[in-house]
Amino acid sequence: MSTIKLDPVTRLEGHLKVEVTLGADNTVASATVAGMLFRDFENMLLNRPPRDASFLTQRICGVCPVPQAVASAKAVEKIKGFQPNLQGLMLRNLIQGANFLDSGITHFYHLSLLDYIQGPQMSPWTGGYTQDLRFSAADTQTLTDHYISALQIRRKANEMAAIFSGKLPHAANIIPGGVTALPSATEITNFRNYLNEIQSFISSTYQSDVNMLASAYSDYYNVGTGYGNLITFGAFDTNTSGGLLFPAGTVTGGTVGTFNEANIKEYNKYSYYSSPSGQAPASGTTTASYGKSGAYTWLKSPRYNNTPFEAGPLARAWVSGDYRRGVSVMDRHMARYVEMAKLVSNMQTWVDQLTPGASGFTNIGDPVTGSASGLTEAPRGAIGHWVSVSSSKISKYQIITPTCWNASPMDDSGNPGPVEKALIGTHVADPAQPVELLRIVHSFDPCTGCSVHVMSPDGVEMSKFVVQPLGK
Amino acid sequence: MRINRRDFLKWSVAAVAALKLEMDMDKLNTVLAADTDPPVIWLLGSGCSGCSISTLNVTNPTTIEDVLQNKISMKYDSTLMAASGESAMQALENAANQYNGQFILVIEGAIPGGASKNYCIIGEQDGVPLTMYDAVLKYGPKAKYVVAAGTCASFGGVAAAAPNSTGCVSVKSLLSGQTANPIVNLAGCPVNATVMVQTLLDLILTGVPSLDNNSRPSKYFNTNIHSVCPRRGKTQVPQPGIYGCYKAVGCRGPYNQSPCPSLMWNNKQGWCIQSDHPCIGCTSPTFPLNPIINA
Repeated sequence: MSTIKLDPVTRLEGHLKVEVTLGADNTVASATVAGMLFRDFENMLLNRPPRDASFLTQRICGVCPVPQAVASAKAVEKIKGFQPNLQGLMLRNLIQGANFLDSGITHFYHLSLLDYIQGPQMSPWTGGYTQDLRFSAADTQTLTDHYISALQIRRKANEMAAIFSGKLPHAANIIPGGVTALPSATEITNFRNYLNEIQSFISSTYQSDVNMLASAYSDYYNVGTGYGNLITFGAFDTNTSGGLLFPAGTVTGGTVGTFNEANIKEYNKYSYYSSPSGQAPASGTTTASYGKSGAYTWLKSPRYNNTPFEAGPLARAWVSGDYRRGVSVMDRHMARYVEMAKLVSNMQTWVDQLTPGASGFTNIGDPVTGSASGLTEAPRGAIGHWVSVSSSKISKYQIITPTCWNASPMDDSGNPGPVEKALIGTHVADPAQPVELLRIVHSFDPCTGCSVHVMSPDGVEMSKFVVQPLGK
Repeated sequence: MRINRRDFLKWSVAAVAALKLEMDMDKLNTVLAADTDPPVIWLLGSGCSGCSISTLNVTNPTTIEDVLQNKISMKYDSTLMAASGESAMQALENAANQYNGQFILVIEGAIPGGASKNYCIIGEQDGVPLTMYDAVLKYGPKAKYVVAAGTCASFGGVAAAAPNSTGCVSVKSLLSGQTANPIVNLAGCPVNATVMVQTLLDLILTGVPSLDNNSRPSKYFNTNIHSVCPRRGKTQVPQPGIYGCYKAVGCRGPYNQSPCPSLMWNNKQGWCIQSDHPCIGCTSPTFPLNPIINA
């Protein structure tokens, strides 16, 4: 038995450590994935006006801040019994969609691709593994050129969002009540021009590159398969009567099933918390306890029906019926492309539904009391905010991020998290260059900036608050 | 679109003229003719990577592809670098030693001191976990310049928001008095891409810029938003989402110094007040206030 430790795993958001033991024939016998940052996010939300949360929770993740704002605004709106008008919903879709396009392109070209090619031989592109590089010099050059042009496209996706959101990262105006921007005809045209350019990149360059990857590395349709269980909360309102572009649902054994948030519980036997394990979101507590015996991560283990589930583009595409080939490293990349193509095309429809000069915002004010969840999707998967308000202030706030589902540790029953499970059984050709592990981890697009919990500074459990780790 | 060094030189001269700065032309030529670009090490602590993403979005003074290929040598940046694990941590150590006293250290995010500094571990060196806190103490004194990218690194920001149970501190509070040159605070949540990249170039070409009493470059942070806001003098409106001045609904513009009205964001596609919402004061040492705006 030998051990491989990757700390840090680079080209992802935040701080992630992967450790595996290799058995006979250099096959992964066991794996742990750990989030190495704790920020205690929810505690800072307490005793603030609910409208502050859409600003503060965006700071959980600068890679996909918009879904945090949307989830937060939806939760507060639900407490108020309010839904934004069509203009507000469309503006939200377009800003969130732009964030998806940016994140997806960044993920493929800037976070994943260097596991398959050697980039330009200068910093920061030197020092990667040289194991199992299959592309010809010409193809490598093509992909390197596209790495550079993708930098421009991902930037333009951010610029496109900023037309309506003020700026990205961290949108200025997605708050309970809608989106405050009053889009002019000129701005709508400007948005459309950006969208056309990005759509053309997706349908030509990105499509051919992802196919090239899938063809050169077709064996990766059988690598990193994991449990095969998929979960999505649903996202992108298509109308004011509850329609969603990507519906909520689950997938087990390839079969699509329903989703019910009551089936979610979180476990923390192997996380740095001393609070009770196995609680539902919105009724748990978290007391940080770094160095707790047996624990190895700041992430908790969200489970659905006590079972590990994987979140992300593949989950959305499968439930939507857009992609159902399988669950693996390459399926995750292909499903992400399929989703991006669908999303960019629907954004064309949404931008056409905007009314120049019309308001997508209603000044609803802060709720006085109540509780609700706000569920949506981030590029990396399902995201939920559970919010309680009393005396017009936040009294509880709990978040489960996509990376919590994916990069979670073992649960109390001993089931490894989805990324851990996907690593187990993998053959590592050269333990000195475990590129297979990187390819698997990166296919999940982890984002660990959000270990979020409530704790008291002296370690006393604050039972009236909730807590949640988040590793997104 | 790549600018060659000659174009960059022309642009630099124009920028210097526009900003009424003095620049040593010989020095500029020497720097830009050098075979090796100035080394940069970028460390992420208790943050969200938003400042990294914002920097990737840069268009003025130039684009990120040009920055990475022609202006600096990014020796360590966990978000972008090809190397992982041990070889990544080795690259960090090697760069700091090889370029001791010469590299620029960029710190993103605040630095947690709680739980014996273990709330943020950036990797392992020789099998020993390296906390962000120790990394900053280790590499800060070796850097020629230290830049705090964003409000978390500059002042604590959201990472250190009350009750700050993780004991997050700013770069300056940890490294004060231990750096070769004054620490430069590039406040903003996230940092504005132009402020970030232009400051790196300023450091390379002319050294530490003139700083205000919050250690922010004066040229960007010498004016409050309200005094130069295009909405100034417009009707004061009673809520966000209506065109007008938001002073009556808690806009932080009158109290917050920032270059937003002129630089704007994302290639000038927008900025907060233009999106019909008050300024939330993200470049301020007191950000985030509770409530964020006093509406």
